[in-house]
Amino acid sequence: MAKQYDVLFRLLLIGDSGVGKTCLLCRFTDNEFHSSHISTIGKLSQGPTGKQETKHASQLSAPGISAGGVDFKMKTIEVDGIKVRIQIWDTAGQERYQTITKQYYRRAQGIFLVYDISSERSYQHIMKWVSDVDEYAPEGVQKILIGNKADEEQKRQVGREQGQQLAKEYGMDFYETSACTNLNIKESFTRLTELVLQAHRKELDGLQTHASNELALAELEEEDGKAEGPANSSKTCWC
Amino acid sequence: MDQSVAIQETLEEGEYCIIAVQGVLCEGDSRQSRLLGLVRHRLEHRGQEHALFLYMHRRMAITGDDVTLDQIVPVSRDFTLEEVSSDGELYILGSDVTVQLDTGELSLLFQLPFGSHTRMFLQEVARACPGFDPATRDPQFLWLSRYEGREPEPEPDSRTESGWSLSQSTWPGYGTIGGGGSNSDSSKSNGKSLLGDQSSGGQDKAENSLTRQNKSKSEITDLVRSSTITVSDKAHILSMQKFGLRDTIVKSHLVQKEDDYTYIQKFRFFVGTYNVNGQSPKECLQPWLSHGTQAPDVYCVGFQELDLSKEAFFFHDTPKEEEWFKAVSESLHPDAKYAKVKLIRLVGIMLLLYVKQEHAAYISDVEAETVGTGIMGRMGNKGGVAIRFQLHNTSICVVNSHLAAHTEEYERRNQDYKDICSRMQFCQVDPSLPALTISKHDVILWLGDLNYRIEDLDVEKVKKLIEEKAFQTLYAYDQLKIQVAAKTVFDGYAEGELTFQPTYKYDTGSDDWDTSEKCRAPAWCDRILWKGKNITQLSYQSHMALKTSDHKPVSSEFDIGVKVVNNELYRKTLEKIVRSLDKMENANIPSVSLSKREFCFQNVKYMQLQVESFTIHNGQVPCQFEFINKPDEESYCKQWLNANPSRGFLLPDSDIEIELELFVNKTTATKLNSGEDKIEDILVLHLDRGKDYFLSVTGNYLPSCFGSPLHTLCYMRQPILDLPLDTISELTLMPIQTEDDGSQLESPMEIPKELWMMVDYLYRNAIQQEDLFQQPGLRLEFEHIRDCLDTGMIDDLSASNHSVAEALLLFLESLPEPVICYSAYHSCLECSGNYAVSKQVISTLPTFHKNVFNYLMAFLQELLKNSVKNHLDENILASIFGSLLLRNPAGHQKLEMTDKKKAQEFIHQFLCNTL
Repeated sequence: MAKQYDVLFRLLLIGDSGVGKTCLLCRFTDNEFHSSHISTIGKLSQGPTGKQETKHASQLSAPGISAGGVDFKMKTIEVDGIKVRIQIWDTAGQERYQTITKQYYRRAQGIFLVYDISSERSYQHIMKWVSDVDEYAPEGVQKILIGNKADEEQKRQVGREQGQQLAKEYGMDFYETSACTNLNIKESFTRLTELVLQAHRKELDGLQTHASNELALAELEEEDGKAEGPANSSKTCWC
Repeated sequence: MDQSVAIQETLEEGEYCIIAVQGVLCEGDSRQSRLLGLVRHRLEHRGQEHALFLYMHRRMAITGDDVTLDQIVPVSRDFTLEEVSSDGELYILGSDVTVQLDTGELSLLFQLPFGSHTRMFLQEVARACPGFDPATRDPQFLWLSRYEGREPEPEPDSRTESGWSLSQSTWPGYGTIGGGGSNSDSSKSNGKSLLGDQSSGGQDKAENSLTRQNKSKSEITDLVRSSTITVSDKAHILSMQKFGLRDTIVKSHLVQKEDDYTYIQKFRFFVGTYNVNGQSPKECLQPWLSHGTQAPDVYCVGFQELDLSKEAFFFHDTPKEEEWFKAVSESLHPDAKYAKVKLIRLVGIMLLLYVKQEHAAYISDVEAETVGTGIMGRMGNKGGVAIRFQLHNTSICVVNSHLAAHTEEYERRNQDYKDICSRMQFCQVDPSLPALTISKHDVILWLGDLNYRIEDLDVEKVKKLIEEKAFQTLYAYDQLKIQVAAKTVFDGYAEGELTFQPTYKYDTGSDDWDTSEKCRAPAWCDRILWKGKNITQLSYQSHMALKTSDHKPVSSEFDIGVKVVNNELYRKTLEKIVRSLDKMENANIPSVSLSKREFCFQNVKYMQLQVESFTIHNGQVPCQFEFINKPDEESYCKQWLNANPSRGFLLPDSDIEIELELFVNKTTATKLNSGEDKIEDILVLHLDRGKDYFLSVTGNYLPSCFGSPLHTLCYMRQPILDLPLDTISELTLMPIQTEDDGSQLESPMEIPKELWMMVDYLYRNAIQQEDLFQQPGLRLEFEHIRDCLDTGMIDDLSASNHSVAEALLLFLESLPEPVICYSAYHSCLECSGNYAVSKQVISTLPTFHKNVFNYLMAFLQELLKNSVKNHLDENILASIFGSLLLRNPAGHQKLEMTDKKKAQEFIHQFLCNTL
């Protein structure tokens, strides 16, 4: 049996605080969307002004562990027949921690740049995040742009085209996702993994031949040659 | 408060004080306070060495000036530091910890304060011990020579002789002395070590205690290893080993769940055996190999006595191999194309494996082995060969054996069988897995000339029974049947009914029984057996048509149920396993919760400890935590901060309290005054193999005259705390040479008002005070004095004379630029014998520094006028103020005694002469 796991990659989630990086991660790795986040919003939205406050609350978002640190989870997926173990790092989005979180970039092979479609500001900041990546991430790092919270259509501040436009400018792929409705989660993670795989194709080809099957292919070809000699004669008795 | 900061200031570059603890050195009835610092030296290439630095110190050590190196104990291989309990005394929780420090040469007893800090210290020391791994080099401690002569001048018979200062052979491997064996010699010649002093018994005793120490040492290291932590690897690189482990887990899960994703598919196997008696193929083998109507999926064809020549036996090379291989290949079933999987031969025993080409892709892990059981139990004239392989998901082993001959030798044959079973071992693809044996296969097919005969019947009787086709009757006398029934051989194997006449022994080229001299009795030598599930035998027969050999070939066809993978189900099963492993792995990533992550220290004051604590609560995975350095920073937090403990180990569901201690001393005060530094920091709490947590520290510092430059203070007409922060910052950053150009700045004072306040207070109250400047002050009073100075509430000042005197010394010490500027330091030392020149040097100082110097000298002279009462003399004052007013610009790198003396002399002149 061929090797089950061939490669390990590190992917990194970055973007402003509250864009939902942790939720993306949890949805992808555990297929869970933490309802505690929803309930925080729900609770706050019972205020007299109703909707407006809901919006305010969702922008605040309930910070997860990553709010003050760097968290990671493992996930194994298969891309092009290659078993890939990905270690996904979820970083704190707060500005005051950015000098530290930047230092985690250099260990990444792929980076998700995440903004919140209901926050123009988080979209504007993508530029800054990209320049950080250029400065700190290793050369050849693969990037993908994510507009998260696509389910909150009524609060949308950033158009889909704007996301596409920005992604095009930077030569990145683009997905609008929703951790809440599980939209494009698997797709975007798989896509970035594919991109990283492609970028590391050469190293991987080495791995592949290494794990090839035991049966010597040469011997089989030899047999083919023999059979071809006396055409169709294999059905007749050779004695 | 961690006093390692003070020690750090005394260290050479490249050395680092890991941790320090204040303890009491006990010698007989004497009790002396010592500061113990564990110092690490990084070796140029790899590794590190440690030594314990023992310091004498005054008050609470804050800076390098507060400590004086007493001795250095290298942490060598024979170094031990172990906790001792006094005999007969009950251990009292919270009491001091008594520890015994031993090396080959030296034995010291310390009392350390109870608490986590001491624990940490002991753990760190234990960790620093080089251990007994012979693979690692003995520590050399060459770096310690840089501290040579720093200790106080050794007096005859002083205790320090057993330390570093005199005896370089305190540790093994130093200089030319080799191992630890020479230790006792050097200690004897030294004659002054504690051990020697205490025991008149001399060397014997020393050796005894040495072995005892070694023993307790290993106990201690064991204990420490099992209970404490190792420094975490900050790069979260998954090792390949871990990768492999996961691989293995997935594989074993896949095996367990095999039924979920495989189904049974029948494969037709042809198994044939033929003892060819050294002949070459002369006839077509089709009657034997292709007699069935259906083309088999797999061919297992075995030969014995392929070549009886000596060449084959000794050189293992025979043209017969190719001949018979060709003969077989040409006679395989014509309805299918076959691929050769493997050919294996041991002298005359050969086994061939073919599969239909369409199955070739599902054959894997093919291995072949041979076992000789012939002459000397090893040679290949008898024995077995085997091929193992995987067909889809079923493992199959085919064995062809030629066992010992002669009727009476059945036990020999049994033994050959057992030898083949035990010695036949196949390598696995994964070299870490144990070799496979025959029995570890789903399906085993065993064929060959097993050589079992018909016993207890004479030849004629046998032939008669054969003629009558009474094979059942004859079978009762078959040795193999009897041996199998007795479970001495082929246990668990099955064989089909023998419905054909014995295959041995014929006259070659005929169907006639052996007519030779020996006239062998006919026997079923050539047999096919099997073991395993889902195997159905379809036929079992001999082939009389073939007359090349004195044996007849035997064949058997089987339908064997093979486990075939349903790819869709396999993928699903694999995914499920992988998902559950991912989940398990994610659940096993250490995770903690912190009771608090934001810490605000308000109104931090100079030299006033503030502590904030929080609790780390561990989740369900045991974990190691550690505050790690941020990139490009040398320690995990700013100099004024300390986390206690800064690392540790947590059991599942357990708690630990961490104290964040904030203490601003003279080293850090100036930049906090100027705003270049702020009470702001982020600590990274790292869990080994896990997450990183960021802790943010904020707060505000109340600027103080302590740590402010002299000229800055002169420009502050108001109390420092009444000034806006911007102004303080501006004034603090102002260059020292600023001369009053009468422009925007208010006219400065001649000397700092704070200095005047303290001196004036002492002049009024303490001019006759005994032991002034020599008695320690009170910490609380210092805080009061500082507050009075910084707020200008001088009228409220009420403190003991000693406290004010100490505050004055602390003030001078905290000046970022000493009273005699760094630039003038060397010229001052040079002219320390020449008062005129000395005065000249003083006159070149910046105005405020000059003013302060003269003011202080005048004050000290006033004090000396009262020496009858206060018992002060020039020497005492010169010694105290020399090191405060004159400070080496190189920091404490080269604290030469001669320099210190010169500095004293320099001050001394100003105390004796009129200013």
